[in-house]
Amino acid sequence: MASLADFFVALGNPLMQRALITAVIIGIIGSVIGVFVLLKGMIFLGEAIAHSAFAGAALGILLGIDPLITILIFGVTSAVGIGYVNEKKVMKDDVIIGVVFTFFMALAILFIGLMPSYSTDIFSILFGNILFISIENFIILICLSVVILVIVFGLKKEFYLITFNSEMAKIAGIPVKFLNYLFLILIAVTIDISLKAIGAILVFAMIVTPAAAAYQWTFKINKMFLLSIIFGVFSALFGLLFSFLWDLPSGSTIVSLTTLIFAVSFILSPKRRKTGIIPEECGFCSQTIAGKTYCLDENCTHLDIPHKHDDEGLIIYKTDLKPKKEKTIHKHTLKGEDS
Amino acid sequence: MNVSKLDNQQSSCDDTVVCLTDINVVYGNYVALYNINLDIYKGEFIGICGPNGSGKTTLLKTIIGLVKPLTGEIKLYGDNISEKIPKEVRFKFGYVPQFAPYDKNFPATVKDVVEMGTYAKAGLFKRITDKDRNKAFEILKLVDMEHFVERPIGHLSGGQQQKIMIAQALAAEAEVLLLDEPTSALDFRMTEDVMELLDFLNHTHKITIVTINHNIKLLRAFTKRIICLNKMISYDGPTSDPNLDDVINKIFY
Ligand SMILES: Nc1ncnc2c1ncn2[C@@H]1O[C@H](COP(=O)(O)OP(=O)(O)OP(=O)(O)O)[C@@H](O)[C@H]1O
Ligand SMILES: [Mg+2]
Repeated sequence: MASLADFFVALGNPLMQRALITAVIIGIIGSVIGVFVLLKGMIFLGEAIAHSAFAGAALGILLGIDPLITILIFGVTSAVGIGYVNEKKVMKDDVIIGVVFTFFMALAILFIGLMPSYSTDIFSILFGNILFISIENFIILICLSVVILVIVFGLKKEFYLITFNSEMAKIAGIPVKFLNYLFLILIAVTIDISLKAIGAILVFAMIVTPAAAAYQWTFKINKMFLLSIIFGVFSALFGLLFSFLWDLPSGSTIVSLTTLIFAVSFILSPKRRKTGIIPEECGFCSQTIAGKTYCLDENCTHLDIPHKHDDEGLIIYKTDLKPKKEKTIHKHTLKGEDS
Repeated sequence: MNVSKLDNQQSSCDDTVVCLTDINVVYGNYVALYNINLDIYKGEFIGICGPNGSGKTTLLKTIIGLVKPLTGEIKLYGDNISEKIPKEVRFKFGYVPQFAPYDKNFPATVKDVVEMGTYAKAGLFKRITDKDRNKAFEILKLVDMEHFVERPIGHLSGGQQQKIMIAQALAAEAEVLLLDEPTSALDFRMTEDVMELLDFLNHTHKITIVTINHNIKLLRAFTKRIICLNKMISYDGPTSDPNLDDVINKIFY
């Protein structure tokens, strides 16, 4: 077992430095893309793209060229293809995703079968190895990551609106169709460039899990991005550290860490806590049951409006206020999250 | 029977905000709208009614360009939009879709949702300005929802969500609001609340309003002109016309 001191010594090694930077970058792009993948409900689509990328890698190795080229070709083509089927509504997405998913696995196995001898490269693509990123791949990773981040943050408000309500985005004149394809390509590229480091089987966790953990904490999109990035980078860095210290496979250590963060977030999520907003004492708006105060209104909707009650105790909204019905007047303050 | 007042007034589309001429809309081999002629003038408050599947939603979507008609001509503010709706014209129309509750946990606050109305105008790769933000807040005040700024959208009641969607359209500086059953999911009090808001916007801010509603009593109370659809326009005229009852009896029963 290595010690922390060994780790810092190892950081003198360019390979290790590259691994560290790769980990941070994948942590960032995965968690950024992941926010919209999660909100748009495209998780299985991403999974299918990851498998097509694996088939691409197998073909690249079979042909003896840099797998990254074939990975990108396969990933982007399948993303656009699925997007097309989705747009034309020929059939439900989950059907086409299911078909494509398994077809690419079949292709991958076919390509592996055609190889004259068993290749260790296949093993490393499947399970990933962050310590053996070639310098060319490293440079491509950095360049494409910058492109991805510029596009996602540059078009953040458009993607956000499309995610919220794509019909309204279309009517407002936002090029929804184009942006949907663009986003599919961004997912594909993110997966493709992370593939070698994290491995085809695990790569998608870098996209889903940090965003899913961030989702548990906030109702604000910017905060969700920030948290997602923090979770992604944290698990990438510490995953790499732990894998070094205890000689564990890097990809699975990183993914296990994000999953742990997700589990903790899920358990502690303020969204799941029923009493996130505590009603003030008001006989009409809240009721104490078994020693705990509960809202009488489903979403505690009335709590932040000044309101009054009539004799029967009905909640009356501000717009309905009639001076002669004045009984009690008070304003509740919101004691929940984000205030 | 076509009681459309347009029959004896073959229009020139002058001064209209929406002018449809001989519009036919089909889905596959199914006719959803047949031979629609319709003029909407600035400042009108129009109610659309008709049975389920009569093409009400399709009509609004056709006006706004979401559905392309098979034949016929659409003019918005006098501009023929058969090819593409020009930006300036598009921004004048706000559409509030049929109520669909949002995911309770979707990360968007009331403020975010209203500000979304300003996104399209700001343009790709640009941020919205403080001016846009202020405008959004002013509109929240206008619809009397400013107390909810920081509330997640999914934590509002259906009627409040509808008001926020109206606010979003107003933040986009819409002059014409097309609303698809804005009150269908609401109780009577919230229904009146939303209709009163529309009435206020129509009177005070001169917003042209076209709203689909199944409740003809409600439409009679708030609008001056009713259009009854049944693939064709079966009635288009004042709410007081006794003919209206006959038409309603005919198309609903
Ligand atoms: N995208 C579509 N593809 C095929 N048919 C459609 C499509 N949209 C609507 N239709 C059909 O066109 C007809 C008119 O639909 P539309 O939604 O305009 O009716 P509506 O008057 O709004 O009904 P409702 O009161 O139920 O909302 C219906 O018979 C519907 O089945
Ligand atoms: Mg409809």
